Amino acid sequence: MKVRGGPVAPLIQLRNLEKSFEAGGQKFYVLRRVTLDVQRAEFVTIMGPSGAGKSTLLSILGMLDGAWSGEYFFNEQPVHKLNTKQRNELHKYNIGFVFQSYHLIDTLTVYENLEIPLSYKNIPHKERASLVCDTLDRFNIVAKKDLFPNQLSGGQQQLVGVARAVIQNPKLILADEPTGNLHSAQGEEIMELFKRLNDAGTTIIQVTHSEKNAAYGNRIIQLRDGWVVSQDTSAAAHTSP
Amino acid sequence: MNSVWQDIRFGIRMLAKNQLASLVCIVALALGIGANTVMFSMAEAFLLHPVPFEDADRIVALTDSRPHQGIDINAVAPATYFDWKKEARSFDQLAAYAWREVNLTGDHEPQRVQAFGATANLFATIGVMPEKGRAFLEEEEEPGRDREIILSYGLWTQRYGSDPQIVGKNITVDGKPFEVVGVMAKGFDFPLSAEAWVPLSVDPKDRVDRSSRWFWVLGRLRPGVSLEEASAEMRSISQRQAEAYPETNKGWQLRPMPLREFVTSTLTRQYTLLLLAAVGFVLLIACANVANVQFARVTARSNEFAVRTALGGSAWRVVRLLLTESLLLSLAGAAASLLLAQWGLKVALAHMPPDIAKFVAGWKSIDLDAEAFAFTLAIAVLSGILSGIAPAFLSSRTNLSETLKDGGRAMSSGRARHRLRSTLVVIEVSLALVLLVGAGLLVKGFRGLLNVNEGYSPSTLLTMNLTLPEPRYAKPEVRRAFHGEVLQRLGSAPGVQSVALVSHVPYANGGDLGTELFAIEGREPSERGDLTDAIIQDTTSSYFSLLHIALVDGRLLTDRDGAETPCITVISQSLAKRYFPGENPLGKRIKIGGANSDTPWLSIVGVVKDVHYSWIVKEEVPTIYRPFRQSPPYSTTIVLRTTETPLLHVPVVRRELAAIDPELPLYNIKPQDQVIQESIIGIAYVAVMMATLGIIALVLASVGVFGVMSYAVTERAHEIGVRMSLGAKSNDIVRMVLSRGMLLTGMGLAIGLPIAFLLARALSSLLFGVEATDLDSFVGLPLLLAAVAAAACYLPARRAARLDPLKALRYE
Repeated sequence: MKVRGGPVAPLIQLRNLEKSFEAGGQKFYVLRRVTLDVQRAEFVTIMGPSGAGKSTLLSILGMLDGAWSGEYFFNEQPVHKLNTKQRNELHKYNIGFVFQSYHLIDTLTVYENLEIPLSYKNIPHKERASLVCDTLDRFNIVAKKDLFPNQLSGGQQQLVGVARAVIQNPKLILADEPTGNLHSAQGEEIMELFKRLNDAGTTIIQVTHSEKNAAYGNRIIQLRDGWVVSQDTSAAAHTSP
Repeated sequence: MNSVWQDIRFGIRMLAKNQLASLVCIVALALGIGANTVMFSMAEAFLLHPVPFEDADRIVALTDSRPHQGIDINAVAPATYFDWKKEARSFDQLAAYAWREVNLTGDHEPQRVQAFGATANLFATIGVMPEKGRAFLEEEEEPGRDREIILSYGLWTQRYGSDPQIVGKNITVDGKPFEVVGVMAKGFDFPLSAEAWVPLSVDPKDRVDRSSRWFWVLGRLRPGVSLEEASAEMRSISQRQAEAYPETNKGWQLRPMPLREFVTSTLTRQYTLLLLAAVGFVLLIACANVANVQFARVTARSNEFAVRTALGGSAWRVVRLLLTESLLLSLAGAAASLLLAQWGLKVALAHMPPDIAKFVAGWKSIDLDAEAFAFTLAIAVLSGILSGIAPAFLSSRTNLSETLKDGGRAMSSGRARHRLRSTLVVIEVSLALVLLVGAGLLVKGFRGLLNVNEGYSPSTLLTMNLTLPEPRYAKPEVRRAFHGEVLQRLGSAPGVQSVALVSHVPYANGGDLGTELFAIEGREPSERGDLTDAIIQDTTSSYFSLLHIALVDGRLLTDRDGAETPCITVISQSLAKRYFPGENPLGKRIKIGGANSDTPWLSIVGVVKDVHYSWIVKEEVPTIYRPFRQSPPYSTTIVLRTTETPLLHVPVVRRELAAIDPELPLYNIKPQDQVIQESIIGIAYVAVMMATLGIIALVLASVGVFGVMSYAVTERAHEIGVRMSLGAKSNDIVRMVLSRGMLLTGMGLAIGLPIAFLLARALSSLLFGVEATDLDSFVGLPLLLAAVAAAACYLPARRAARLDPLKALRYE
């Protein structure tokens, strides 16, 4: 069933999304009947206590997790009807990830870490080189291109992580606690970067415990025990139970 | 293509980052691939290219056989060959050859030479003509017109100094002038060990003989005719002959085979296949080791693979990345293996005595050729895939969201990986056990073959052969007088304790002593025409004491058994048991040849213990001893018991024999222990190779056990910390780790033992002195393997016991 929410359909539409697992004969729910829309160019924050299902929801949105039920439309495409290969193609060309622990590949240089997602899209070598150089320049990390991740500070690593996420010009960036391992100044830098990307039209969904980070977004989704308990577009909405 | 290059670059970087692990893998693969390359080179030479003839597949050997009596290959009778020539339509050419030894005398030292009588068309049939001169003409097959000889290249260079004018010259062969009509090309020695060829001339009487089988027949298939079609035709001809001549042909079956199968002995084939299987096992063990290392690497990099997948890498790209690393390892191993293989082949070729090598078809063509390189490359690719495929596929099945959301912490290995790694170790141990048992049995068999002869101190026996030329020694009394003088002169030579004459010493002729038919008086031939055959030994009475052959019943031969006394014989215990079961053979009569042959009946006067004359068959071969004075032979072996090093007496022996007949060549002059060692050197080679492979397998398997247990300790560090904090002592931890390792070892032994038993049964049917239930092999070797595995487990166990509980509890 295709759901239309207006003249331009939302980028993401979830309808009764559920995820559960069985243990000891009992069913345990991680997400319960999650229904929400994310508009294009929105900056959405997902918040909630530990174990609420935030990261799980992010994984599902990023098509890293295929074991769920319900409906998920991404850019009007029914993800719930796609097979693994189709989902991989969809997320490869449309979604960028930023992780709390950066998840840079330690044995690749900064240049190579940026190049990796492009090589998986079978982009020719010359074009890849051009895109990587542009991105290094854009993020002011040209001088670091031949360094390995363990030669960079935490902030620099996360910067590279963000650069890697955006190099392919994704429609959506998913960030799981992007500043969790950074000190405040570095964290601020990253959030400002996200803001700029969002202003340029990239849809961003972040998971965070930080109210300060949440304030950068324009909507907060509260999760508790797998349920969406509130969706508030105001910055002050995070204070409601 | 660019992404492939990217994978290669990254793979090299990853291997360089983990140098120790990479080195272990490369060494393991080098050993496994190298062993396979060596065996491939040998198998290719022995089984695929034993003869260097063009279109060798079109040349067929036509032999007789009696499968129900264990005779696999036998020559055919002359009359059979001439019938085939008339009737067969499937062959362009049918040729024959026969063994013949000749004496070359005249202008050089007398020399015994291995010659073959050959039909005029033999060379055309195999497609190789003399390099100088010509082949024989058909008319030269006629008796009286057969004084031509073709020399081998080796004989031409060694005896005639590569005389460019040799063709057309006369040389003295067996006291008669023969014209040299041709010289063969360098390296040509067909049939194996041939040094010269003479025309195969046959008397009219022999042309119709159907009972003496001494012709070896080869045929070249007509174009368009397959081996199967030709075999079918020849079998129907053979069937008609069996019906027409039941007395001589009943029970014999035609056995056609491609030439390459004919020239390669059954034993060579069997042992080559055994060694091919053995090196295959070693390669599997090496691949299992590498797979285990790859599993550990994959587990440590699970985070990286999750990130790659999250960034858009498909499962295939991740798998390809890991397979590329495995292939890089195996190609590096293959490069190292070529060096090992070259060295291994050099060692193998250097230690084979030339006197033995010349009888092994294909030995000269063993080489690291283009095919060996291609094989090595193929094996390397296969090994890379084999050792990398399971870790690669498991890596592509990581739970992405679980791996990525845990702050970059690497996943634990998962039960599937753990089970796989344990399974690989179990397989390694079982394969290693099979190899070790095989090696142990072969070594034991080899030692058994040596030991069975120790009873008569072969190191103090000097042996040599001589053959009396027919023209001068045609009369029995002349031969008798010659042998008598030899015994008298040598018996009184300084340093000689005793001397004997005998047809064949034990293990002579490479251990393949032929038998002859004999008949038992009053015994009707069996329904299916079973043969009674035995080794015939014409010997002096001193032979029995020389070889410490004990008397079982009756009496031994004496010096009084001569030309004027009744014809008697002494038989071996095995002959008595086989052909006179439950009876006393003394006083019974037998004769050499058929019951209607004109050889005399021999009364059995004694039974002696068996001598192990032939190692090729497991059971003792029945033997008939005749007094040499009653049947003075042309060919004989002189055996001397000496007081000191046997070879020191050679000049004395030569001098004494030259005093009797200066034109008689002595040949095969060797101490008896050398005869034995050279005869069984093939077994020695196989035993050494199996032992080497067994040791490699043992080392690789124990490295495998060590690796798995070491990794298990690392994985369980947190659990160990918890156990220690709950009161576990060092011994408890050691016991926990050791018991796990020994459980895997025990499972490997339990699987390997039945397979080893099957191998043992196969080997025991082949080898003297090997029993399928050999205790040393089935108890000792598993214990050895278990002990080595225990040592391999002990180090990780000790490391586990020394873990700091606090650190272990914080271990992630």
